[in-house]
Amino acid sequence: MVQSKKQKYTFLAFCLVPTFIMFAVFTLYPLFSGLYYSFFDWSGASQDKEFIGLANYITLIKDAIIPNTIIHDYFLVITKVIGIMILAMFFAVALTQLKIKEAPFYRIVFFFPNIMSVVVIGILWTFIYNPNLGLVNSGLEFLGLENWARPWLGDENWALPSLVLPSIWAGIGLFMLMLMGGIANVSKSYYEAAEIDGANQWQQFWKVTLPLVWPQIKISVLYIVITTLNGSFIIVQVMTGGGPNNSTHVMGSYLYQQAFVQYNFGYGATIGVMILILSLLTVLILQFLLRRDKVEY
Amino acid sequence: MKEFRKSRWILGLLALVLIGVVAACSSNDESEEEEATDSSETSGEGGISGDLEIQYFVGGYGDTWWKEVIADFKEKYPDVNVIEHAGPNINEEMRSRWVSNDPPDVVYIDGAGSSETQMVEDGQLMNLTEWVEGIELDNGDKLIDSFIVNPGKFDGDIYSLPLVFDTWGTWYDRALFEEKGYEVPTDFNSFMSSMTEIKDKEGIDPFVTSGQHPYYFLRGMLYPAFGAAGGDELLADLITGKEGAWTSDVVLETMKKVEKMQQEGMFDQGLGALNHTQSQMNFLLHENAFIPVGFWLPNEMKNDIPDGFEFGFIPSPMQDAGEPFAIVPDLRPLAIAENAENPKAAKAFVEFVFTRDYAMSFSEHTGAIMNLTEVDLTQSDKIPSYLTEANEMINDTEQVQIYEKPHPMSADLETPIGNALMSLMLGNMTAEEFVQEAEKAAETYRNSN
Repeated sequence: MVQSKKQKYTFLAFCLVPTFIMFAVFTLYPLFSGLYYSFFDWSGASQDKEFIGLANYITLIKDAIIPNTIIHDYFLVITKVIGIMILAMFFAVALTQLKIKEAPFYRIVFFFPNIMSVVVIGILWTFIYNPNLGLVNSGLEFLGLENWARPWLGDENWALPSLVLPSIWAGIGLFMLMLMGGIANVSKSYYEAAEIDGANQWQQFWKVTLPLVWPQIKISVLYIVITTLNGSFIIVQVMTGGGPNNSTHVMGSYLYQQAFVQYNFGYGATIGVMILILSLLTVLILQFLLRRDKVEY
Repeated sequence: MKEFRKSRWILGLLALVLIGVVAACSSNDESEEEEATDSSETSGEGGISGDLEIQYFVGGYGDTWWKEVIADFKEKYPDVNVIEHAGPNINEEMRSRWVSNDPPDVVYIDGAGSSETQMVEDGQLMNLTEWVEGIELDNGDKLIDSFIVNPGKFDGDIYSLPLVFDTWGTWYDRALFEEKGYEVPTDFNSFMSSMTEIKDKEGIDPFVTSGQHPYYFLRGMLYPAFGAAGGDELLADLITGKEGAWTSDVVLETMKKVEKMQQEGMFDQGLGALNHTQSQMNFLLHENAFIPVGFWLPNEMKNDIPDGFEFGFIPSPMQDAGEPFAIVPDLRPLAIAENAENPKAAKAFVEFVFTRDYAMSFSEHTGAIMNLTEVDLTQSDKIPSYLTEANEMINDTEQVQIYEKPHPMSADLETPIGNALMSLMLGNMTAEEFVQEAEKAAETYRNSN
């Protein structure tokens, strides 16, 4: 039976309209109301609001804490991208190419942190970093490196780097699986051909594996960047609350503090607009940097 | 034509579903409002009836006292239907009600996410100045003359009545101190010598507080220190961010004491990351010997107290030798919403709560003090000894001076000062740098208001 045009459009509308309405209600509306509230002086706890134009944006530019939160965010982005991609790639190659018998077991172990809530991970690592009872300091003492032991999360210089480790640990599993999927799709014949040509494992990785899983790598990097810019707030909030002395505040946690602790909801919304703009810019720049012609052999 | 009709039918159905969803969302509020107006029309005994919504935070003091009071209230006013909104996150949960101008009738302001100052600034609380004058206690005493600490005033008006008299002070384990013969501090010098001795003999950093909440140290140690050094006036200047207050000599001298504590290694090295519970747990586990918190400590941690641990409480010993201890009470008030739907019942409830009998039972239930004078805590054997002793001390002006702050410090000022304070306590800032930072924060605060 041939579908009439009407039928086709009805079906399309049936599929798209509810989705669009949901998207409008849960994404577009909050987006624009966020923008709207950024022009008001509002505590977020009452009905009183006062229109103040761009005053919140002027405060934003003058706020000395803002540049630091941006630096902290991008510090996390860069360290996480490097850490997660290197380790996930390493494990993915090891589990697919090296023919390890226990590969399924390791796959589960590495994926395990992904099914845990970030809040649980944060609390777990708070205990690991505990200066008196924690694994890290006890381990260092056991190795005779007492001088290296320090109150990791309570130190203005070390708190932020200390957040990188749990973030990487929590992220590896998912991206490892993605890369493994990519590697599994690479035809064995390429490796056989490479071997006949005398390429060693290392050369096979650089010349065959890496170019062929590039699309997966690109998606992984973008995904890590976006989730970090939008979601690093959780781990900061759970583990340090932005302290000590703002040394771990990221944009998201600072937004939360302004909007819900200091009752400057309008200013919080302004920070939200800034996060949106920075995330968009970052993704656009990354798209440009990571563009690379699709490789086919 | 047939298809056309069919597609219209499907679109129509879709629209219907959507309308249904929207209507379902909004109909809730309407029915609630109807109920409220219905019930307030049917008048009961004494004209007080209808729904009464009470919002109260449940933290370290628990909720048993509230349950008792509300049950008694229901007995006295059977026509009033009391709706309780309670829990540790109640301030967050009820926020949307306050924003949409549909607040509960009575609110007990305490815990994270609540700010009396903010509520008054937003015009959410009823002005009680005239009404409170007429309230009398059972024996005929005027309520307004029977508070330990008077209600906070905003431009001369009263918007809330202080219910709980809490005070931050310094806690120690009395059993440990008696066993090892450590000195219970009486002023800053003896505090330092006591901590030095403990540091040497126990091998621990003697002092702990929550670094995630720097205002614990501000309220627990510095307010009393400022009170002792400059009285109510200095406290008021610092809290309102008056120009030059934070850079004044008395403040710098006090901050030098904090710097000294840091330099001599009295602060727990890991305190920068500790949260509320972790810091209190550290104290109970003898990882540290002193902690500045309020009266909630024993009740909140009652399941984790090691055997043989005995709570001892002193006002924070930051004052110079020869001076009396200083206490700056921290009050948790009860207030009525400006837009309360049932103000009559709300007033009846507030009046009902402020009695000396309930003050006694409050101390029994919570281990803290209700803000009424002439409550003889020694009458009850259910009240812990630290509380009767603290109560006695507070009432003895030779030992302890009470200083009052005009109102709590705004979070906009407290947050940056707390951050700088944490830096000072971690040894990354000097006292001089701290007062400059604080003065800067005060300037920003003044300009934003």
